[in-house]
Amino acid sequence: MRELFEISDRYIEPGDANGLLYEPLENGMTYRATTRYEVEFEGEKEALEAFIEKTLLDPISQELHEGDDPALTDFTFVLEYGMKPGALDLEKEAIMTYYRGIEEPGFELKSLTIRQRLYLFGGSADESDRFIRDICNAAIHNWNVISAG
Amino acid sequence: MEERPCAVLLKFPGTNCDEETARALETVGFVTEVIPISALKPESLVGVSLVVLSGGFSYGDYVMAGRLAKLVTEQKIGDTLKEFRDNGGYLLGICNGFQILTQLDLLPAGSLVENTSARFQCQWVTLKNRAPESPFLSHLPDTFEFPIAHAEGRLVTQEESEAKGYLESGAAALTYTEDVNGSFEQIAGLQDESGRVFGLMPHPERFLHRQDHYDPDWSHPSDGDSAEGEENRGSGYYLFRSLFESVTSASS
Repeated sequence: MRELFEISDRYIEPGDANGLLYEPLENGMTYRATTRYEVEFEGEKEALEAFIEKTLLDPISQELHEGDDPALTDFTFVLEYGMKPGALDLEKEAIMTYYRGIEEPGFELKSLTIRQRLYLFGGSADESDRFIRDICNAAIHNWNVISAG
Repeated sequence: MEERPCAVLLKFPGTNCDEETARALETVGFVTEVIPISALKPESLVGVSLVVLSGGFSYGDYVMAGRLAKLVTEQKIGDTLKEFRDNGGYLLGICNGFQILTQLDLLPAGSLVENTSARFQCQWVTLKNRAPESPFLSHLPDTFEFPIAHAEGRLVTQEESEAKGYLESGAAALTYTEDVNGSFEQIAGLQDESGRVFGLMPHPERFLHRQDHYDPDWSHPSDGDSAEGEENRGSGYYLFRSLFESVTSASS
């Protein structure tokens, strides 16, 4: 079975997207970052959700979204990127090591894929190539761009 | 011969302020042992008066600062740190250690999230001592300076009114005198109800000596009546000195 979880911050205001780029944009854009976890598992879904909430969510400062729909709305585009298959993802390894130490987790975690999402607001979707160029590293990352509906 | 109190400094993968923190603890009189989390057992704290979680980037700050350190600590020793506190033990968390203590629910509820600047901030800050009776702050003046170095030091609570409550209850033992990172109520350090658990974002261990300060003419307000050997001390020394005296007087 496959489940998607996306975690966003409650208190982080949209930042100036120029801070992500080597050269400033002509038209200002802002951004917010989230993290998306794609989980392949077998066993109790409730146990998986409890694991996600305990391990990955800070209930004070973050919000959890389940499912395919983007956590945020009204964006111009979303740049989603993560480690290529085969590239060492230290965050994933740290989470998996913790999972393996749990006695009777109630589910089997078959795979975990972590993707960073940058939601860009304002400006134009044509600018996505500049963000890919300045943020993604083709040696270790793969990425995709989600356009506004 | 007088017996010196023992301090344990927990080291996680990514902890990087353990040596200078251990040096600060030794300077004021603690016998200090650095224990890697992989070697930690509940028995490790037998006979120990103080547990310190120092600064750094435990587990690369993955997921969020302090989260994986909390999970691994609980996996290794369960509620041992809470029992340690309940049995009269002292706990100090500095920077990443503060983040871990909040995650472990050893301090009033709060989270340390990204600074409003969205940048890593490395600078000197002025702090207000709001708990002069605290075992950690009793030798510090009303205001003093410490350095900070963090990207996730903005203390937030579920509702902003909770942070206001911390000012009123005295849980907010330390505040910035200006808005440094967006912390609610400019909170820089929290203590629990017992007063024996204290966490702060600034780094006292980086200001042990007068010459650590950016101003070559800096002097501590009580320098005129410093004890012998304390003439060259920075404000950070006095935090550790306060703690040492509290621990020794509690155990005598």
